[in-house]
Amino acid sequence: MSFIEIQCGDVLASVVFIVEGELQEIPQADAIQSHIITCAACSAEIEHERLMHQMLQDVLKRSCDEQAPEELHQSIHNQLRAQMAGAGATEVVTQFSMTEISIEIDEFGNVEHREIQIEQTHIQHFIDDED
Amino acid sequence: MTSKDLVLESAADRTTRFERDALVFTNQLYAAALRYTKNPEDARDLVQDTYLKAFSSFHQFEEGTNLRAWLYRVLTTTFINTYRKGQRQPQIANNELEDWQVAEAQSHTSDQGKSAEQEALENLPDSDIKRALQEISEDFRIIVYLADVEGFSYKEIAEIVGAPAGTVMSRLHRGRKQLREKLSDYARDLGYTTDAPAPKAKKKGGTE
Repeated sequence: MSFIEIQCGDVLASVVFIVEGELQEIPQADAIQSHIITCAACSAEIEHERLMHQMLQDVLKRSCDEQAPEELHQSIHNQLRAQMAGAGATEVVTQFSMTEISIEIDEFGNVEHREIQIEQTHIQHFIDDED
Repeated sequence: MTSKDLVLESAADRTTRFERDALVFTNQLYAAALRYTKNPEDARDLVQDTYLKAFSSFHQFEEGTNLRAWLYRVLTTTFINTYRKGQRQPQIANNELEDWQVAEAQSHTSDQGKSAEQEALENLPDSDIKRALQEISEDFRIIVYLADVEGFSYKEIAEIVGAPAGTVMSRLHRGRKQLREKLSDYARDLGYTTDAPAPKAKKKGGTE
């Protein structure tokens, strides 16, 4: 029931969305869908595209499955441990800060103002006894 | 008075958690890094840098979100910022987004063209598949790899590469097209296709 006229070219231009299953992202999605159903050439094309897409993914996945060398696994592990140690085995840092303010007014109306800042940082170390 | 625990998880616990959850992707990241850098030494360094960077910002990583996608984001940005610095990159035209849908004369592929392409993919050795991937331009290669090997959705890829979703779709479309053209060329060179190598354009089937 769409009034947008869809040409084969429009369908073919949207093929990447169709193959990705993201046709709904396109404004003319419904019209494209109905065109495909009625146009034999387009539906054959879409079928071919789907098949090619599947085959391409299969050959790519098959070809690109190199294993990382063993020493890379080891070196990552070592570097992570080194980085952890370098960052300090500082585990829990607790900071306190407190400000005490006192104001005194004497009988002559002089204002005496005092501020005391107390800060404390407590660091707890846990020994990493793992490996 | 304020009091706060700045670090809730011990460094050792965090390291263990990182190793358990993130290191299972080492092989996958290495294969991706090989496609990005095109050589084993750089791929190795890239994966290592990726893990160290990811580890140092692991406390910012929200549990429950996609760790694999996050690692690929670190890998991809590290590659773009470090490894390809200084390398000359082909410029992609500004009108990339606007013209991609209309750029190509869209017509149906002939049945012959279809079966030739299929035959090419069925017969080519892995080395040719990898060679074709190496030869397409870098921006396309990364996106095709993330979509077709790693299976990320185009929205995830947009996050990983830091590009708008429309750009990703456009590059995916063009990248796959370039890749398929290269593979068809190799297959023709190897004599696989039944299609005559004559200038009978492969994309000019009748519209019926």
